[in-house]
Amino acid sequence: MRTLFVMAALLLAAQAHAADKSLLDAARKEGRVAFYANITAVEPIIKAFSVDTGVKADYTRIASPKFVATTITEFDANRLSADVVQAPVPVLELLKARGILARYPSPAAAGYPDWARKDDTMTLFGIEYVGLIFNKEQVKAADAPKRYQDLADPKWRDKIVMANPANHPSTISWLIGLKETVFKSDAEWMKFVQGLAANRPMFVASFGPTPAPVESGEKAIAISMPKYIITKAPAPLDWARLEQPLLGTPRAIAVTSKAPHPNAARVFVDYWLSKKSMEMLAKDVGEYVLAPGIYPPVEGMSTARVLPIRELSDEEIQKWGGEFKKIFALK
Amino acid sequence: MEKSRAQLTWSLVAIVGFLTVCPVVMLALGSFSQGLTAFGDLTFDKYVQAYTDPALLDVIVNTVIFVLGSSVLATVLALFLAYLNTRTNIPFKGLFTVLSIVPMMIPHLLFSVSWALLLNPTNGMLNTLLKNALALDAAPFNIYSLEGMILVEALLDLPVAYLIIAPAMASFDVALEESSRVFGAATWRTLLRVTLPVLRPAILAAFILGVVRSLASFAVPSVLGMPGRVNVLATHLYEMISLGFATDYGKAAAVGMSVLVTSVTLIYVYRAFTAESEKYVTISSRGYRPSVIELGGARLPLFAAVAFLSLLMIVLPVAVLLYTSFVPYTMVPSARAFAAMSLKHWHDVLDDPLSLLALKNSLLLAIGGATLGVLLSVFVAYVTVKVRTRASGILESLTFLSFSFPGIVIGVGFMWFFVQTPLYATLWALLIGYIATYLPYGVRPMASAFVQVHSHLEESSLVCGASHLTTMRRIIVPLLVPGIVSAWILMASMFIRELTLSVVLSRPGTEVLAVQILKFSDDGLWGKLSALGIIMIVISTTLVIAATFVGMRFKAADN
Repeated sequence: MRTLFVMAALLLAAQAHAADKSLLDAARKEGRVAFYANITAVEPIIKAFSVDTGVKADYTRIASPKFVATTITEFDANRLSADVVQAPVPVLELLKARGILARYPSPAAAGYPDWARKDDTMTLFGIEYVGLIFNKEQVKAADAPKRYQDLADPKWRDKIVMANPANHPSTISWLIGLKETVFKSDAEWMKFVQGLAANRPMFVASFGPTPAPVESGEKAIAISMPKYIITKAPAPLDWARLEQPLLGTPRAIAVTSKAPHPNAARVFVDYWLSKKSMEMLAKDVGEYVLAPGIYPPVEGMSTARVLPIRELSDEEIQKWGGEFKKIFALK
Repeated sequence: MEKSRAQLTWSLVAIVGFLTVCPVVMLALGSFSQGLTAFGDLTFDKYVQAYTDPALLDVIVNTVIFVLGSSVLATVLALFLAYLNTRTNIPFKGLFTVLSIVPMMIPHLLFSVSWALLLNPTNGMLNTLLKNALALDAAPFNIYSLEGMILVEALLDLPVAYLIIAPAMASFDVALEESSRVFGAATWRTLLRVTLPVLRPAILAAFILGVVRSLASFAVPSVLGMPGRVNVLATHLYEMISLGFATDYGKAAAVGMSVLVTSVTLIYVYRAFTAESEKYVTISSRGYRPSVIELGGARLPLFAAVAFLSLLMIVLPVAVLLYTSFVPYTMVPSARAFAAMSLKHWHDVLDDPLSLLALKNSLLLAIGGATLGVLLSVFVAYVTVKVRTRASGILESLTFLSFSFPGIVIGVGFMWFFVQTPLYATLWALLIGYIATYLPYGVRPMASAFVQVHSHLEESSLVCGASHLTTMRRIIVPLLVPGIVSAWILMASMFIRELTLSVVLSRPGTEVLAVQILKFSDDGLWGKLSALGIIMIVISTTLVIAATFVGMRFKAADN
């Protein structure tokens, strides 16, 4: 029986290998693959892909507010050159609704958590995790917040920097994620939000500009992304180890339905989800990835609880953006 | 002659119209269409939603203060500098050329960030210095305020205003001022009653360009306004398009339409104010040479004022950039910071093939784009100034069409347009988009130069049997060399750092410098950003020096 099982496994592996081989050959014939995304410093993965597979990859970085507009415009005009798209899940959901995504359950995501295979079109591979980043030369680790509620302590008045909660979708989603996942009641959450507002945080346009004021000492703490501890090294940044989980919007990858290079697209997605790529993403860029056993080299992150935020509709984001505008007394 | 002028006018209306109307039409379609693209079922909902937003009133008030404040300040400072440089015996005149040009080459985002590092209320370098020196309890300045935004935007717009006013002032007819003095008027009175009124077209052009620029400006409102919670039109539009993942540019375009109407109205106001263009003619068939005013005792104090302005506009921001490019992360200057300095960011940028490709593309677009843009501008400016018909009025408004649309939206208009053509995702799309959008940078300096050239010169040439083209080449163009140089410099340095269109139209292979800079900015990599910014400044400076040199050679050959 055991021998039979081993033989069957070997046969399956041989078939998979043959399938991989023919897919790779087809991809090589196509010669190149175009990748649309808005993700930091992934050029090493793109380069490694080209070296390992012999297929040239072109990376187009499109900022989030323009991602949907660009992709839809090109698709409607039959000019979409992207074979593979990568974005936060709500963005890919919008593209899927317009028929822009193809079905491709990648075998490379075999070891990922079940919820990473959202459906047949997209595979979740990481979480844009949000944490509290502080300047370790100004704030002792012992004085850093232990719970989100601590951010409402008046000792942080005029010392916080964050993306504008009236218009930054990831920050709005994060605040709603806290309400639904972390806080025991809406009243407790609202008290936290009002306390945070009373501490007069400085607002910037997105997460990108949040670490600079903390590095320079202009502000002491940021609602930001722990990955900056890696990308901004040797800046004196550390993250607050909270008792509560860290939250973030999941990122996903998918093949497009009219991909000019459909085989190369599949090879690219498989490569992206492979252990090698995910290790590069975690190690070099500090991303939180879903490939099993791989963590960003941020001290303490391998034991942290990092959870995905529910997808918020645009209506919800707009509604809450308006609410936060009032709470934070933004004109 | 009238017939050929009409033919030229309508040909230009067709060319410029094609360049500038298409993206705006796409945006207009988008603003009336359901859904997220330019084509959908007719709806007025986007206008209703955009204009019934209760926040809009505050935004309008802030925007008016910001726009008028920065445009007036930029124009006044430009007048002051242009007058001192072209008309007086102030020392170190070379400084003015540097002063007028360098800030234009610094990416606005970096310039704004530099000011935040200098004057933020917590640990801004200048604030800390003043606080310690004067034993103050709190920081004396807060750059995150409407006043701070006005100052920084005015400094950014000053070079453009200067490059429009200075050539006009340089070709001023001395006879006008001399007559004033002969009749006993003092220098001040002559300045106020003769010099400034005669320069009205250039002053108004500089002011209007300042208004349109600051209306479309995003860097200053985003970097300084957002932390200070001062919302102006650009940040309001940003909020509109960034709130949610399905970005509705049609709704933002609906707001943009008001900006467009405001700008087009301004152009007509400008035309009305300068209707009797003969009044402003200062180069007629007689010899002209501006006289030099002796400053006497005021020479050194005025030079000190210029030196102070240089410090604010160039030395401090460029020093901050240089410093940031050497330190490993954003650090307040200290012994430790200086010890940690290295060339790492420079190596990273210079070893990055994408940055090098971007550099090559930007250089190509700047030189090619500015040359073609100036060529078109010469004809457009000629028609708008010398042919005062309804068609020439239309042409003048058309040149401002794409330019006056808020930058955050116009790029999408171009994308909606170009995606319907084979030019999409090519360098040609960027080249055409740049020229179409920044045509006023070419036309305005040329127009203020044309205003001052009397039609007698042209008529004499035609009477003597020269063709229009020969007249243009042999008579008009040589007199316009300062205007041509200004226009080329304005366009080239704009194209080197252009972001608005590039961020939407740039694709693999057509990367440009500003898009690389934005990438570094999105990732908060200020060191690399500063290194690339300085490279950008060096390239622009080289182009400016080359253009000035060629201009001087032309003039010398002409003489």
